[in-house]
Amino acid sequence: MLPLLTIAGAEKLLKTLEEFLDKSESQFAMIIDRGGTILSQTGRPPEGADVTVLAALAAGSFAATRELASRVGESEFNALYQQGNRFHILMNAADDDTMLVSVFGSQTTVGLVRFYAARTGEQIAAQLRELRAASAEAPPIFTEADLNAAPKIFDGAPPS
Amino acid sequence: MAIINYANKEVQFKIVYYGPALCGKTSNLAYIHSQIADANKGELVSLATAADRTLFFDFLPLNAIVIRNFKTKFQLYTVPGQVIYNATRQLVLRSVDAIVFVADSQWDKMEENLESFRNLEENLARQGMTLDSIPYVLQFNKRDMPNIAPAHYLDFLLNDRAVRVPSIEACAISGQGVFETLNTVARLLLVKFAREAEAAAAAKPALGANPMASIAAGMRNQPIPR
Repeated sequence: MLPLLTIAGAEKLLKTLEEFLDKSESQFAMIIDRGGTILSQTGRPPEGADVTVLAALAAGSFAATRELASRVGESEFNALYQQGNRFHILMNAADDDTMLVSVFGSQTTVGLVRFYAARTGEQIAAQLRELRAASAEAPPIFTEADLNAAPKIFDGAPPS
Repeated sequence: MAIINYANKEVQFKIVYYGPALCGKTSNLAYIHSQIADANKGELVSLATAADRTLFFDFLPLNAIVIRNFKTKFQLYTVPGQVIYNATRQLVLRSVDAIVFVADSQWDKMEENLESFRNLEENLARQGMTLDSIPYVLQFNKRDMPNIAPAHYLDFLLNDRAVRVPSIEACAISGQGVFETLNTVARLLLVKFAREAEAAAAAKPALGANPMASIAAGMRNQPIPR
């Protein structure tokens, strides 16, 4: 079950991410679910990068590599590291449904990022547990009557 | 599963386009991408082979209507249709909120349609889901091709269930039926989401009821939204 992000919960997640960014000296970090949806993000993404696309690709990449590891008999798979020339990417699982994605350059080291990412992942997992517990009591954000008043969801031009 | 973000006033959903190889899943996303205003769409990303066949998935993020100050956002994915990529399809189906099953209307593709539909049921079952528990629509694509099966035959083949879902005839290349399909599945999804939230708030869960039954029945009696 994915959490409902209350304003206070979102702020708490963001604060955790900001602390991680500061300590690890990463450039950009985000918390995403395994479907590729962003729960929180902070920092400066690489120029020209669409963070929504980054999240979808990170989720797909992590899931595929975890599956690959599983099929060769590895039961443990918690982190994935991509080493680049200018930017490196570390993805580590926070819990079964979410992961922390860190993008960093040469100003820091993978060891430092990995160290703080593991600790931050545990903090995120604990915060998400609290948010999930509170989600069951949330009021509906809109009703079926609201939907009936909105006739068109997507507006596409008719085919020629 | 939908994610509600009160901080950003957003609710996000994931829709997966499923179907046999070369049925037109990617064409659906390409047409949608070509028609949606820039402000409401992200980049269309295709992880494809050198021969332009989907290898992992296609991905298109969209912004849709604002309801009660909450922006609805949809992430559209396709799966690779080729049989060998079943492990990949299972990954893409994770956290799915609604499905569009794209069938190829040509007579010689009926076996592949059925095989893919059964594969969808199997892969959903791996996640503890069934077609009765998730909003989905059928799209009968390639209606412009010669030698196609009538829509009622495709309905008999794929929609002969206790709860019949909306089916839409389409030609994804030209755009015919593409937005009808998207709007229909998005509305099914939002209605289910609203009903479940209202039911939870009222603390009166309809135990044993199939929430999709009445929604799908209602959709069949309404004009298809555009």
